[in-house]
Amino acid sequence: MANTLRLYLTCIRNTLDAAMCLQNFPCQEVERHNKPEVELKTSPELLLNPVLICRNEAEKCLIEASINSLRISLKVKQADELENILTKKFLRFLSMRAEAFQVLRRKPVQGYDISFLITNYHCEDMQKHKLIDFIVQFMEDIDKEISELKMSMNTRGRLVATEFLKQFM
Amino acid sequence: MAAIEVHQFAQCITCHAWNSDHSMVAFCPNNNEVHIYKLFQDKWEKLHVLKKHDQIISGIDWSASSNKIVTVSHDRNSYVWNQEGSEWVPTLVILRLNRAALCAQWSPKENKFAVGSGAKTVCICYYEQENNWWVSKLIRKKHDSSVTSVAWHPNNILLATTSTDGKCRVFSTFIKGVDTRESKTGTTSDSKFGEQIVQLDLSFSWAFGVKWSPSGNTLAYVGHNSMIYFVDDVGPSPLAQNVAFRDLPLRDVLFVSEKMVIGVGFDCNPMVFAADETGIWRFIKFLGERKTPSSGSKYGSQFSGAFGKFYGQSKYGVSNDGVETSRTSGGVHENCINCIVPIREGSTSRTTRFSTSGLDGKVVIWDVQNQDGLLDYL
Repeated sequence: MANTLRLYLTCIRNTLDAAMCLQNFPCQEVERHNKPEVELKTSPELLLNPVLICRNEAEKCLIEASINSLRISLKVKQADELENILTKKFLRFLSMRAEAFQVLRRKPVQGYDISFLITNYHCEDMQKHKLIDFIVQFMEDIDKEISELKMSMNTRGRLVATEFLKQFM
Repeated sequence: MAAIEVHQFAQCITCHAWNSDHSMVAFCPNNNEVHIYKLFQDKWEKLHVLKKHDQIISGIDWSASSNKIVTVSHDRNSYVWNQEGSEWVPTLVILRLNRAALCAQWSPKENKFAVGSGAKTVCICYYEQENNWWVSKLIRKKHDSSVTSVAWHPNNILLATTSTDGKCRVFSTFIKGVDTRESKTGTTSDSKFGEQIVQLDLSFSWAFGVKWSPSGNTLAYVGHNSMIYFVDDVGPSPLAQNVAFRDLPLRDVLFVSEKMVIGVGFDCNPMVFAADETGIWRFIKFLGERKTPSSGSKYGSQFSGAFGKFYGQSKYGVSNDGVETSRTSGGVHENCINCIVPIREGSTSRTTRFSTSGLDGKVVIWDVQNQDGLLDYL
């Protein structure tokens, strides 16, 4: 693995470790409700300063924390238009199946490709370090997945072109 | 080993409390019930399930001498449970809250209890004989956010609170007809109910887990910015000390003696803080043993990195290609500890044993008696 990617992921891992200190906290505004404060943003004192980790302009990660929830938004590298389309389609496919992933948000935060929402309930059910591992593994795999898709796309394109051009021989 | 007993009672425990002789434990398994377990020979058996609340229970306290349990819940209600025969009978508390109740504690004399709430208020509840219910007096408009923790001073009058606005406050809770004048001490003798004695603005982040020392001279609370605060001479001119530590924030603290404090929190391992002869507080050590992480993933130079990769693959059959995986805590608790309760033996003011419970559903009993280097502080 490239060395800069390792540093980037380690930085995200450490930030998540510090930010994922969540607890059950009922809503202060609406009675008998319990909502992720990071989504509502009704009480500014319950939010922490967001952390933005950038590898370069195209790849960044925004971590917003609050007392009972944590939102992680990723921007995935897109070098050309083909990668752009592939990323969009692939992440849309995942987002539509968000309930199977539990921590995945159905819609990404504006300006990002995909968002995760981790609440205190996830921390109660799952082990914290496994959750962090999942996020980091996801980031690691998404780049690989996109470049693989791109490669198979190109191969297929070449094959199709060859077959098509055969008739003119 | 400092942990002497580990009990896996449930999947997840929000809070727990012991009865006076520690033969019974009440806890909330992260839902709307309270389970009471009793020790028979060497087995814990479920004796009662208290069902009255309809949302998660956020606080339980069991009074030692009057044997009453107070429970508070996110459903805005509180009940005082009294044992009649083999049944626990609830009495409704008129909290007059419109938000969740977050924490509860009996006063030292057990004639009052305090409830902190998400409505930015504190309720001081006391029993009204003529109506047979618990009524409350509210401390309003003093907090700017939810009240996360309350603690009674041993004099039964002063109450310390922490809030998510980052402040710690001390109030007088003198209630006519419940408290008597002579129970008051020195400087606070002319304060009436709800008067703020002092406001401590030390933390930049949310404050949790306030406690008084056994004598009531020192106050300790924690901030979410991985700091713990010690305040001496609570009054017009308090003396504060901030201690920062490198690990994850704490949730709750406990005074074991005047000079020693145990802090528990997101690091899943109790931390010991102590004051030396000059009264300077510092972090001493972790109480639980931590397994050293396997040496598979941390290598300094490139050569040892390559070697480690080879070694790791051949020995464990795993690839070390990825970045190092997050460390597991390896301690007794596997998830955040959110409750620490003293276990007092007899009438001594000294506490050497205490229990902790956390989101991993374990109740762990610890003993600091035979710990090296800690005896001086007891």
